[in-house]
Amino acid sequence: MVKRERHRYILFKLIREEKIDIKPKAFLKEIWKTIWYYFGMKEANKIGLWLIELNLKENYGIVRCSHLSKEFIITALTLIKEISGERMTLSPIKTSGTIKAIKKIQEEIFKKKIN
Amino acid sequence: MSYFETRLKIKSNNNSEIERKLSIYEEIGVKNIFLEFIESDNLLNFKRIRDLNLNSKMKIYYRLTLLPKNIDDLRKKLKKYRNLDGILAVESNDKKIRAFAAKDSRVDLISLSNIQMVKELTYGLISLTKGNNSFIEFSLSPILKSNRFEQSKYLRALYKAIQKILKLKGNYIFCGNFDNIYDFRHPRALASVCHTLLGMSLNSAKKGFRENVKLLLQRARNRRDELYFESGVRFIRKEDDNG
Repeated sequence: MVKRERHRYILFKLIREEKIDIKPKAFLKEIWKTIWYYFGMKEANKIGLWLIELNLKENYGIVRCSHLSKEFIITALTLIKEISGERMTLSPIKTSGTIKAIKKIQEEIFKKKIN
Repeated sequence: MSYFETRLKIKSNNNSEIERKLSIYEEIGVKNIFLEFIESDNLLNFKRIRDLNLNSKMKIYYRLTLLPKNIDDLRKKLKKYRNLDGILAVESNDKKIRAFAAKDSRVDLISLSNIQMVKELTYGLISLTKGNNSFIEFSLSPILKSNRFEQSKYLRALYKAIQKILKLKGNYIFCGNFDNIYDFRHPRALASVCHTLLGMSLNSAKKGFRENVKLLLQRARNRRDELYFESGVRFIRKEDDNG
């Protein structure tokens, strides 16, 4: 029996100094560029990348990918050094199998920050 | 078990700079960090910064990296720093010095931080460190270089070295060793990089950031313990025995 492909949601933090507005398209383009550069077609076709949320006010984002390609996405996020000419660090915080759980974690982390 | 970043270079005595770097690591989510002092800073400096109350939630450990010019120089330095309260590492471009350091039980860590050192890793050196329960450290900072040619060369050298060390079941750890604050990365993310780009299993990669670092800390603790003889053997004082 073929196993069903599952989703993984990755919550990541953006660490940057300048607050330039980044378009989600530019962000996704940079991730795809990194995936293509390091892993090529062989892995790129299995990834199933989807940008769920990109919050530039609170500097976090959530991407969805296939459970098999989670490590490739984490690597790609790690190896990105700049987007739209702005130097930044994308640091994966947490991975989850459901969007409900990742939202809960995101709320907890950013509520703590506000308090 | 939490991850360790085992190398954050401290170049100046400027507290605000140290605290800024620590705050970035804290923001990334690192919980354990090693501050590294280069041997040209003297021991007093090492103690001064160690006694500082750095405003950080992270657990801070200390290491000193010796950069010997030749074997005699290494001998002198090891004599000077043998009772050091922290991790003692040796970094050298000369493979004879590295082999000598690997034979010495006072050295906790042999640091390989550039392509030349990684290329020169031999089965002999792995075996010596294994025999002494010391560790070989690979630096991951060249992976984030902008020069693609140098980056791929380093990845290839690192891949070959890691295959060697896994084959012999040697002792290894990974460190970030980044200078620029925008290059700072969480060790878990670096473990993913090792898994996807260096052909090692995720567990082996994680081991280089967690379990092996714990063993290294235990080794340094045992080195300072006068009653410790070797793994599984510890002297007992007569008074302790009576008590």
